Amino acid sequence: MSISLSHLTKRYGADTVVNDVNVEIPEGSLTAVLGPSGSGKSTLLKLIAGLESPDEGRVVIEGDDVTDVDPRHRDIGFCFQHYAPFRHMNVARNIGFGLRVRKQPKDVIDAKVAELIELVRLDGKAKSYPAQLSGGERQRMALARALAIEPRVLLLDEPFGALDAQVRTELRQWVKELHRQIKVTTILVTHDQDEAMEVADQLLIMHQGRIEQAGEPTELYERPATEFVHGFLGPTTTFKGASVRPHDLELVATSVGAIEGNVQSIMELGFEVQVTVSLSDGSTPWVQMSRNEFRSINVGVGSPVSIRERD
Amino acid sequence: MNHTTRKWSLRLVVVLYLGLLVGLPVGYLFIKAFSNGFHAFWVEVTKPNAIAALKLSAEVALIAVPVNTVVGIGAALILARRKFFGSRALTLAFDIPVAVSPIIIGVALVLAYSRIGWFGSWLSSHGIQILFSPIGIVMATMAVSLPYVLRSVLPVLIEVGKDQEDAARTLGAGGFRTFWQVTLPAIRWGVLYGVTLTIARTLGEFGAVLVVSGNITGKTQTLPIYIFDAWDQNFDTIGAFAGALVLASISIVALIILSTLRARERKLHVDLA
Repeated sequence: MSISLSHLTKRYGADTVVNDVNVEIPEGSLTAVLGPSGSGKSTLLKLIAGLESPDEGRVVIEGDDVTDVDPRHRDIGFCFQHYAPFRHMNVARNIGFGLRVRKQPKDVIDAKVAELIELVRLDGKAKSYPAQLSGGERQRMALARALAIEPRVLLLDEPFGALDAQVRTELRQWVKELHRQIKVTTILVTHDQDEAMEVADQLLIMHQGRIEQAGEPTELYERPATEFVHGFLGPTTTFKGASVRPHDLELVATSVGAIEGNVQSIMELGFEVQVTVSLSDGSTPWVQMSRNEFRSINVGVGSPVSIRERD
Repeated sequence: MNHTTRKWSLRLVVVLYLGLLVGLPVGYLFIKAFSNGFHAFWVEVTKPNAIAALKLSAEVALIAVPVNTVVGIGAALILARRKFFGSRALTLAFDIPVAVSPIIIGVALVLAYSRIGWFGSWLSSHGIQILFSPIGIVMATMAVSLPYVLRSVLPVLIEVGKDQEDAARTLGAGGFRTFWQVTLPAIRWGVLYGVTLTIARTLGEFGAVLVVSGNITGKTQTLPIYIFDAWDQNFDTIGAFAGALVLASISIVALIILSTLRARERKLHVDLA
């Protein structure tokens, strides 16, 4: 295991922000810590980096107990939510900072910086200052700066949070690809379940300072251990008094094994269509279906329909 | 009133206001100092007592400005980066010397360090005299210029935040390197502005220094006190105007240097992210 956390606890006054976290993070994995804001995920990341010190528990990285080790000696690459660029240094000097700290010879630093600039696709920007870069470029510069020291672990705090939707999607794919290339154990913190599901090979769901569930994305999605995980990982709707996924429901012509009702509203979201049905028992579950499926059943608002769980 | 008229009348008000308060008096001072020609001005500023006063003021500034800069940056770092009991009281304590009249600082220093004060009597029994000596002048000056660096740096430190420093730490930098290579460059304009204000106040301080210095001509007379003496005691108006012009010029030059540096930096690369 690359990182193992045991009984990790952090309190701010009366608030327990991280509450008895026990978790093992596999070597070379890309783990997403997913949770709503205030769930303690950013604090967890700072505890691993040593930027916060725990009230209880241990942090072990590659077998070394680093709980009492200063962050400067942990060999951790940390990318901050707002990138924390050194504003008075150009891109090359930013990326080379950790290497200069390590007193590497100048030609070694120059070569390494050039290599990283190419890796993060900032060619031609070496002499630019952070203020002259776009959000995505700043993010990649911060990533290169963290990678320059060849960290044992890469920690990313809400890496795509401050970017607009299109750049975000591109960068997600790029980070996934980058991780496939360099294989460094990476933990990223996010509150966006789509992002987590798309990028990560391991998920940690955090809620009120605790780990609710850990595992592979599909496993968590299909077999959520708690109601919170179920609700957080994807859309839910209430059918026959139980919480189910709206894509696990279907509208059918026959009333056999189904409940009858009327279409209350239809929302077409491109490929996806959401149909809300008003049932005789007063509940209003909604059904998620593809555009083609929606066309084939041929219903409109007010149409009588039957609804049941898919097989 | 249409938009343009309003804009121009607003500008006129500002210009008039500044003109009456700053432009006219300082301009008049300039004219008066040279009213008997440059030679008369030069004779005045090179009088031995004038030179001695200028020298003392410079010496006091050379001690007070660096000390208050270091203390101010240090205190700002502690107040911005650590939360502790009594931090509010500490900020308040820094502000007291400029919140009260300088004469009170002077009188308080005399009380504490004269022979009747308990600390002063202990010091004088050890042969250290603070009052009526340059030591007293430096202390009074440092007191009245205490908060300027802190007050200019603290908001910048809070605005810049801790992330850059944390980033430097995770990259392996120690406290010393982080301060010199990350923190200081990020707050440099706050520091320079604070230092400029400190220089101006240090050179200009009159009340507190007058009380503790004893006003011994040629010995414990700083430039402002020399000007006051020339004006009030010796009816040497040209001398007073000449001294005042020298004093004003130093501060104005410091401000001009600061704003030129800033403008050049802005031109070099856009400063703000």
